Amino acid sequence: MIDPTVVDLSRTQFAVTVLYHFLFVPLTLGLSFLLAAMETVYVVTGKVIYKQMAQFWGKLFMINFALGVATGLTMEFEFGTNWSFYSGFVGDIFGAPLAIEGLMAFFMESTFVGLMIFGWDRLRKGQHLAVTYLVALGSNLSALWILIANGFMQDPRGAVFDPTTMRMQLTSFTQLIFSPDAQAKFVHTSIAGYVTAALFVAGVSAWYMLRKRHLELARRSFRMAVLFGVLATMGVITLGDALGFVGAHAQPTKLAAMEGLWKSESAPMAWNVIAFPSQQAQKNVGVIQIPYVLSLLATHSLYGTVPGMLELEKRAARRIQNGIPAIEALQTLSKHPRDAAAMAQFKAHEKDLGFGFLLQRYAPNVATATPVQIRQAARDAIPEVSVVFWSFRIMVGLGLAMLAFFVLGVIYTMRNVVQDRPWFLKTAVWMIPIPFIACEMGWLVAEVGRQPWTVFEILPTWMSASTHSVGYLVFSLIGFVLLYTVFIIIEMYLMVRAIRQGPESHGSGGGHRNVTTTHGGLPRPTLALQPSSSALQRSNREE
Amino acid sequence: MTNMPTEASAVKTFLLFVLFMFLAVVVIALAIVLGEKGTWYFAWLVGTVMIVLIAAAGGALLDTQDEQAEAECDRGHETH
Amino acid sequence: MENYVILQVIWWLLLGILLMGLAIMVGMDMGVGAILRYVGRTDIERRVALNIIGPHWDGNQVWFVLGGGAIFAAFPLVYATAFSGFYVVMLLLLWTMILRPVGFEYRSKLLSPAWRNLWDWALFISGFVPMLVFGAAFGNLFMGVPFHFEWNMTSFYTGSFLGLLNPFAILCGLLAVALAAYMGSVTIMNGAEGVMFERARGLARTMAIAAVILFAAGGLWVANIGGFQIISGPGAGVAQTPLQQVVSHGSASWLANYRVYPLLWLLPITGFFGMLSGLLAAWARRSHLAWWLGALAWIGVIGTAGAALFPFMLPSSSTPSQSLTIWNSSSSELTLTWMLGFALVFVPLIVWYTSWAFYVMRGKVLEEEVASDEHAY
Repeated sequence: MIDPTVVDLSRTQFAVTVLYHFLFVPLTLGLSFLLAAMETVYVVTGKVIYKQMAQFWGKLFMINFALGVATGLTMEFEFGTNWSFYSGFVGDIFGAPLAIEGLMAFFMESTFVGLMIFGWDRLRKGQHLAVTYLVALGSNLSALWILIANGFMQDPRGAVFDPTTMRMQLTSFTQLIFSPDAQAKFVHTSIAGYVTAALFVAGVSAWYMLRKRHLELARRSFRMAVLFGVLATMGVITLGDALGFVGAHAQPTKLAAMEGLWKSESAPMAWNVIAFPSQQAQKNVGVIQIPYVLSLLATHSLYGTVPGMLELEKRAARRIQNGIPAIEALQTLSKHPRDAAAMAQFKAHEKDLGFGFLLQRYAPNVATATPVQIRQAARDAIPEVSVVFWSFRIMVGLGLAMLAFFVLGVIYTMRNVVQDRPWFLKTAVWMIPIPFIACEMGWLVAEVGRQPWTVFEILPTWMSASTHSVGYLVFSLIGFVLLYTVFIIIEMYLMVRAIRQGPESHGSGGGHRNVTTTHGGLPRPTLALQPSSSALQRSNREE
Repeated sequence: MTNMPTEASAVKTFLLFVLFMFLAVVVIALAIVLGEKGTWYFAWLVGTVMIVLIAAAGGALLDTQDEQAEAECDRGHETH
Repeated sequence: MENYVILQVIWWLLLGILLMGLAIMVGMDMGVGAILRYVGRTDIERRVALNIIGPHWDGNQVWFVLGGGAIFAAFPLVYATAFSGFYVVMLLLLWTMILRPVGFEYRSKLLSPAWRNLWDWALFISGFVPMLVFGAAFGNLFMGVPFHFEWNMTSFYTGSFLGLLNPFAILCGLLAVALAAYMGSVTIMNGAEGVMFERARGLARTMAIAAVILFAAGGLWVANIGGFQIISGPGAGVAQTPLQQVVSHGSASWLANYRVYPLLWLLPITGFFGMLSGLLAAWARRSHLAWWLGALAWIGVIGTAGAALFPFMLPSSSTPSQSLTIWNSSSSELTLTWMLGFALVFVPLIVWYTSWAFYVMRGKVLEEEVASDEHAY
C-alpha cells in the first residue's frame, strides 16, 4: 500500500512542475512559426525590417526557450522518479512516443535552434529560413509525440494487459498514434500555442505603438500577429469542440464533470452556463442554463444524450464487482504463470481489471471487500467536478474573448488605424497573460478530468506513484518550488528588460569568425564597429 | 496619416466586427461538421501552412499600403 | 522468439551507443562548464569558452533526453526502478542539469560581474555534479542496489541516499568527471587561441592521466568484488517478470564474460589507448585528433562496463533473484521492432545534421567578436 499522502504530494509535484513547464511550451510552439512567417517575408521581399523582426522576436523566443528546455528535463525524469509503477506498467506503450519525440523532434529543434541564433551570417538566406522552419516543425513534432503519449492515458488504444509480464503491452502502433483523442488534442494544443504567441507579439507591439517606439517593427509585427491569431483562435475553438466530442465517447466521466451533469437527462439537454457543483451532495446550486445546447455540443445533434455522473457511478460499482475475480486470478498468475484456470478466469474479467485496482485502495484484499468499500471506490470514479467545471468555463470564456479581440485587431490593422486606437492597444497589452491562463486551464480540464485514473479505466492514480516516504516528497517539492521561483523571477525580469530595450541593430554569429569565404578564401570579418557602439549606447542608457 | 476615430467610423467598425465574428462562427461550424471525419493531423498541416502564409501576406500587404499612402500623399502635394 | 532475443540484444547495444553519445557530447559540454573558471580567468575569456559550445550544447543535451527516453521505451522496468530508487541522486542530477540551459541563456544578458560570477559557479556545478552522478550510477550497478518487487511489480527501494555514494561509485564518478574535463579541454583547444589554448592543453594532460589511473583502479577493484550470475530462469526471449528467476551474488566474478570471450579485452584496451594517445595528441597540439581519441576512450570505458555487466541491467543487492536483466525488463517484441525502425531512420539523420551544424559553426571564436555580438552567450 502506498501512503495516500505520498500519492497526493506526487500529484501536487507533478501538477506544479508540468503547469510551470506549460507556461513556456505554448509560446515556443507558436512563436517559432511566427518567426518563420516573418523571415519568409524577408526572404521573399528582401526588406531588412523583417529580418530585424525575426531577430528581435527571436531573442525573446530564446529567453523563453531556455526555461522550456530546462523544465522539460524535469518531466522526462518525473515519470520514473515519482510514478515508477505507472512507468513499469505502461512503459511498453508510453515510453515509445517519448523516445521517438527525442529521435525525431527534440533533436531537430535543439540542433537547429543553435544555428537559427548563431547562423545568420554563416548561412545563405534560404538555408537560414529552412533552419527556422525546422525549429518550428521540430518543436511542434515534439508536442505531437508527447500528446500521443497523453492520448493513450486519456483513451488507451492499441494495447492490452498481459498477465505474463504483469503490464500493458502494445498491440497496434498505428492505433496508438492515430487515436482520435491524440489527433484532436495535438492540433488543439499546438494551435493554442499559435494563439499564445500571436497575443504575445500583438501585445508587445501594441506597447511599442502606445509609446510611439519602433513603429515600423511594431505595426508589421502587430499585423502579422493578429492575422496569425485570428485564424489560430478559430482553429482552437473548432478543435476544442472536436476534443469534447471525442471525449464524450471515450471519457464520459470527464464530460459529465465538465458540464456539471449529475442526473442523466432526456434530449435535448440544456447546458449549464453557470453552476456551483457540490461533490458531497452530488448536485449543483445556483444554476443558469441554456436549453438544447448540451445535446448540440456533446453529440452534435438535438436528439443525443450523454450519461450523468450518478449513472456513471452506478456503472462503476458494477464494474468494480466484476473486477474482483480479475484481481484474484492475477494474484495466482503472479506466482504460477502457467495456471490455466486462473488464466481463464482472468480472461473472462480482464476488461474490468482497472476497476478491481480502484477497489484495492479501500480493500487491499479484494476477496473480503464490503459493499461500503465498493461504494467508496465507485464514488472515486467521479473526478473533482467543480475544478473541471470551472477551469473548462474559464478556458472557453477566455478563448471567445481572444477571438473577439483578434477580429477587432484585424479590422483595425487592415484599415491601418490601430496605432490611433490607444484603448485597443492598452487592451492588447493587458491581454498578454490571457492565453497563458487559458492553456493552464486546458491542462486542468484534461488531467483533473481524467481522475481517478492515470490510464483511463485501466490504472488508477493511487497505485501509480513510487513507494517513497513523505520526507522525500517534501524535500523534492520544496526544492522544485524554490528553484522554479528563482527561475521565473529571472525570466520575467530578463524578458521585460529585453522588451524595454527593444530591437536594436543586431550583430550575430556568436563571436564565431565568419567563414563564408570570399574569393580570396579569407575570412570576412562579420562585425564592424557599429554594433558594438550601439551596444555601448544601450548600456549607457541602462544607467 | 493620423486618422482619429469619429462617430461614423465607430459604427462602421462595429458593423465590420459583427460581420467578421459571424463569418468566424460560420467557418468554425463548417469545420466542426467536416471535422467529424477526424483527419486532424492532415488538417494541422494544411492549417499551419495557411496560417503562416496569410500572416506573411498580411505583413507584406502593409508595405504595399504604406507605399500607396505615400504615393497619394505625394500626388496631393503636386495638385496643391 | 528468436527475433525477440535478437531485438533485445540490439536494443541493449543501441542503449550502449546512446550512452556513449551522451557521454561524449554532453560530457564535452559539461566538461567545459566544469573547467570554465580555470581556463577562463576574465569575463571575456569565459564568454569565449561558452560560445565555443554555444551553438551546440542544446542539441548535445538531447543525447541525454534520448538516453532517458530509450531506457523508458526499451527497458521500462529499469527506467522505473532506477529512477525511483535513486530518487535523491536523480533530483540532484536534475536540479544541477537544469541550471545549465538557464545559465547559458541568461549569464551574459546582464553586465553585473556578481551576476556573471554567480552563473559561472552554477555552470561549474551543472558540469561537475551531473557527470559525477552519471559515473556513480554506473558504479552502483556493479555493487547492486537494494530493491525488491511486490507480486504486482510495485518496486520498493530499501537503501539510503548515502549508500549510493559508496567509495567505488565515487571512483567511477571521478572517472566520468576526468574524461568529461579532458573532452572539455580539447574542445576549448579546438575553439580558442593563445593563453586559453595553453591552459586547456595543460589541463587535458592532467585529466588524461587522472582518467588512466582511475580506469585502472576501477578495473582492479571490479576484479576483486563478487559479481552476479543467473542460476536459473525462463531465459532469453521469453516474456517474463523478474519474479521467476534465481540469481546468485558474490560467487561469480564480474569478469566471467571476459574469460569466456577473451576478445572483449579489446574494449578496455581501446579505453586505455584512447586516453594515452589522446594525451599525446593534446600535447602535440593536435586538438581535433585528441577530441576523437577522447571519444574513443569513452567508447572503450562504457563498452568495458557493459561487457562485464551483460546481461544484467540493474542487479539487486537485497534480493538478487529479482535483479533486472535484459531478458526480464525489456519491452515487448512489437515495441522494440517499431522503435528499431525509428532509430534506424533517425539516428543516422541526427548524426548527419549534427555534423552539418558543427561544420557550419567551425573555426575559432574570437574575443572581439564575442564582445560586440549581442546574440553571444
